[in-house]
Amino acid sequence: MTNKMITLTIDGIQVTVPEGTNIVDAAKKAGIDIPVFCYHPKMKPVGMCRMCLVEVGRPVVDRNTGEFVRNEDGSLKIQFNPKLETGCTTLVSEGMVVINTSDKVKRGRKDILEFLLTSHPLDCPICDKGGECPLQNLTMAHGPGTSRFLFDEKKHLLKHYPLGELIYLDQERCIQCGRCIRFQEELVDDPVIGFSQRGRSLQIVTFSEPGFDSIFSGNTTDICPVGALTTADFRFGARPWELNAAASICQQCAVGCNLTLNVRREAAAGGKVVIKRVMPRQNEWVNEIWICDKGRFGYHYTEAPERLTQPLIRKEGELVPVSWEEALGFVAERFRQAGKGLLTLASGRLSNEDLFNLRKLSEGLGGKIALYTQMSGGEQVMQVGLAKESNLAELGQGDAILVIASDLHQEAPIWWLRVKQAAERGATLIVAHPRPTRLEKFAKHVLRYRYGDEAGLLLAMLNSLSAKRPALPERVSTLWRDDQVQAAAKAFAEAQNAVIFFGNEGVGLQASQALAQACLNLLLATNHAGRPNNGLIPVWQRPNDQGAWELGWRPLPNLDEAISQANAIYVVACDPAGDNPTLPLTPDFLVVQDLFLTATAKLAHVVLPALPFTEREGSLVNGERRVQRYYPAVPPRPSARADFTITGQLGKLLGIDLEDRLASKVMLRIAAEVPAFSGITYTALAYAPEQWPIIGREDLYYGGTTYENKQGIGVQLPNALQQGEQVTLTWPSLAQATEINGGLLAVPVTKLYDSGSTLVHSKLLDQRRVAAVLWIHPDEAAAHAVQEGDLVHLQFGEASAMATAILDKTVPQGVILLPRSAGIPLLEPCAAQLKVVERSYER
Amino acid sequence: MNRLQEKYPTEIENTLAKYPPDQKRAAVMPLLYLAQREYGYISKQALQEISEILDVPVTEIGQLVGFYTLYHDQPGGKYRIQVCTDLPCALRGAEEFLEQLCENLGIRVGETTPDGLITIEAVMCLAGCDRAPLFQVQTAEGLTYHENQSVESAMKLIRTWQSIP
Ligand code: SF4
Ligand code: SF4
Ligand code: FES
Ligand code: FES
Repeated sequence: MTNKMITLTIDGIQVTVPEGTNIVDAAKKAGIDIPVFCYHPKMKPVGMCRMCLVEVGRPVVDRNTGEFVRNEDGSLKIQFNPKLETGCTTLVSEGMVVINTSDKVKRGRKDILEFLLTSHPLDCPICDKGGECPLQNLTMAHGPGTSRFLFDEKKHLLKHYPLGELIYLDQERCIQCGRCIRFQEELVDDPVIGFSQRGRSLQIVTFSEPGFDSIFSGNTTDICPVGALTTADFRFGARPWELNAAASICQQCAVGCNLTLNVRREAAAGGKVVIKRVMPRQNEWVNEIWICDKGRFGYHYTEAPERLTQPLIRKEGELVPVSWEEALGFVAERFRQAGKGLLTLASGRLSNEDLFNLRKLSEGLGGKIALYTQMSGGEQVMQVGLAKESNLAELGQGDAILVIASDLHQEAPIWWLRVKQAAERGATLIVAHPRPTRLEKFAKHVLRYRYGDEAGLLLAMLNSLSAKRPALPERVSTLWRDDQVQAAAKAFAEAQNAVIFFGNEGVGLQASQALAQACLNLLLATNHAGRPNNGLIPVWQRPNDQGAWELGWRPLPNLDEAISQANAIYVVACDPAGDNPTLPLTPDFLVVQDLFLTATAKLAHVVLPALPFTEREGSLVNGERRVQRYYPAVPPRPSARADFTITGQLGKLLGIDLEDRLASKVMLRIAAEVPAFSGITYTALAYAPEQWPIIGREDLYYGGTTYENKQGIGVQLPNALQQGEQVTLTWPSLAQATEINGGLLAVPVTKLYDSGSTLVHSKLLDQRRVAAVLWIHPDEAAAHAVQEGDLVHLQFGEASAMATAILDKTVPQGVILLPRSAGIPLLEPCAAQLKVVERSYER
Repeated sequence: MNRLQEKYPTEIENTLAKYPPDQKRAAVMPLLYLAQREYGYISKQALQEISEILDVPVTEIGQLVGFYTLYHDQPGGKYRIQVCTDLPCALRGAEEFLEQLCENLGIRVGETTPDGLITIEAVMCLAGCDRAPLFQVQTAEGLTYHENQSVESAMKLIRTWQSIP
């Protein structure tokens, strides 16, 4: 990209834009809408639909002098192209004159529309896009009132063609702009849909298994300029103009994509206000205009009938409904008695406001708090996390990104997309993982290590860069001499800006602390911390794990012990008993606050029903340390309360001063107390600057139906370096490799569609949900007499599980991979023994 | 199980050898013909097998099958009679010819005779406009052209096929 600016005139308005801009974008910047169908500002122009025709004139240049020729009055002499030109494929040039409103242009558009409508049904009254459809709008503006084509000779095609179980195609409505196909190919590298046939028979097809096999498929329904693509979730659900919109934040991973929840009051739901669909909301710093299908379809848990509706107290062995007054009074009394013996266990599923109140309550009583997580490293992120003023979209040529121990495609899809795009812009991508992942295709350096060696690998990279070489454990002691490690380290060190993403695949809680420290060392030693577009990004499993760390929550290295010592345990938004059935969770008093009657709740003395994010407000800190707020979308179910409110009310009863009514006021307290949050208010979080591309306004043809962001892009926290603190290198002690005693190393891996309590209620995803399986290398399988499809009994320590074997050459030797949250109680890598219990002979 | 790969290893190897190793996808057309010969049409299974051999997404291969009229995604007869009915041929009686041929065979355009021998299709210009009525016959072995046809001559040809055991 050059910085050269070009000035041109569009409909008499002077516009100055960077060289390389096309006419459509230049016009948009000047507030002029040129209709498009195939062009989309996030994709390369292809000039397929001809909707964007404009008149273009260029200044006449004197061939001898190279100067512009002038008219007598001194103005530039302009020569117009006798034919109309496509504004999307024509780049601006100095002195250009564009006319978008002449009769000639109007006639051109009218003709193109007539062509597009030769077989289009114009069944807007029953079309899901009706009301937000560019084709409908343009037909109203330019289109002929009647068709010159005989209705009987119009082409009739399938109206409900499932491309998969998630996305439906109406073949008649498709205007063959190719946006969906290009999105799948260019942007998300899932070329699973394409054109088949030719001419008027051209149709979208898919041959993938399952159909339309892409975790980003929903986005095509936003950018499809007509009602050809619709989601199974929303089709025939409501008319767009009946919907209200509430700004929200996705709670399914640490990216924190901005959402708009469309809601409506409807008879079908007994007169209640319900969520009809989840749409992306533009935030060019976070998710641009996209979301993944987990974010789009995963919200159904918030409205599940199984949700807890009333406080429960155990009486004579049974949990029975009671009033809030009784429940809170009882809990407060028991917490007072427990005092120092109170342990509060909460997870990053909660908002900042909830976590702050919970900590304050516990502190007020002298109790302990513990963050429920399997991954550590939040402190290092507070020190050298992605710096304030960063935007991954700015990484490109000359920059580097290192991704270690994370399969971003499955764990944080939108980060996968943004990292891929940075690599395509020229950033050096280094992917370090024990097995191949989807990101590797775009990497310049691929580092393969053994599970357990992740921190060692980073320290080896550091060793290869410096003369001082602290000794490393045997397993990794010579790694620094490896050519590939050296090359990757050099590329990382020489990069202008560099970012590290670290996850926890194959890394236990303790080891992830060392991994984070190793990341910090590498960033600090190569001067990639404390400046915009540099720093560390944790791939947390929950949306607000980072917020929990910022607000003083830490995982306990020995949770079992803390649990057995506590007199009273307050478990909020986590299910330790469900995750680990062997956990000794038998305190004198157990309170569970959650949305569902979890396995832990079933053991509790008191159960308090909380509200999901859709029925309250709050704020989260994403992995990029951006604080973002979400708004209530539907009225709260009576009798359930927001977590911070419940905790605040307990505080009142216990004489601890907590805000229990307004989340915004809790944020004021956080800002006053936590330095990184200083200055953050709900108003600051609602700041919404103009973004490019301009989308979501009247002219939905330009960017699609993604919502414009009017409710705030959030605020990034400054890291310790930016706050002027000292951060020093410390050498982490590397954990010993796990003893496996003749068994195999069982490693939990994250798959996007799991059976966790915040996804399992989206029945729509059932076909794509990961089952209780184990992935094993064919050689390893042979060595353990395991065959494809075998039902295998797994023993890890005291816990055991059953899983179906899948042979997979990409699994490293000595290892089995098991999906998280799929019914197998494995939280950390550990040794496992295998025994085949049932063989399927179906094959 | 990759039937194509297992049944035709040398043929596939020879085909691939014609193209640079990093551009294996260029071999997609010959492999589609191979699959059509093997299965009689391009089945989903065949798409999957070619996708594996070439390491090209299965949908991209499926698109080609739709684009070219000589690949078929549905099973058909052993002989596919493709009659041109474009304007110039129509002016020389191609439509009546097709109609009568169908009547004689007792099937409609696009259908296959119950013995699985013949499928009749109407197609676009075959570049023999001045010699209409004309058709081409597609079999696993390839294409043959038959120009200046009458229903009688066509039926005579068909009878020769019917007599082949
Ligand atoms: S389905 Fe929609 S986006 Fe895809 S080609 Fe058709 S009109 Fe365009
Ligand atoms: S990438 Fe993460 S935050 Fe974004 S929509 Fe998907 S699950 Fe939600
Ligand atoms: S040709 Fe320009 S938008 Fe389609
Ligand atoms: S129109 Fe029939 S062969 Fe050309």
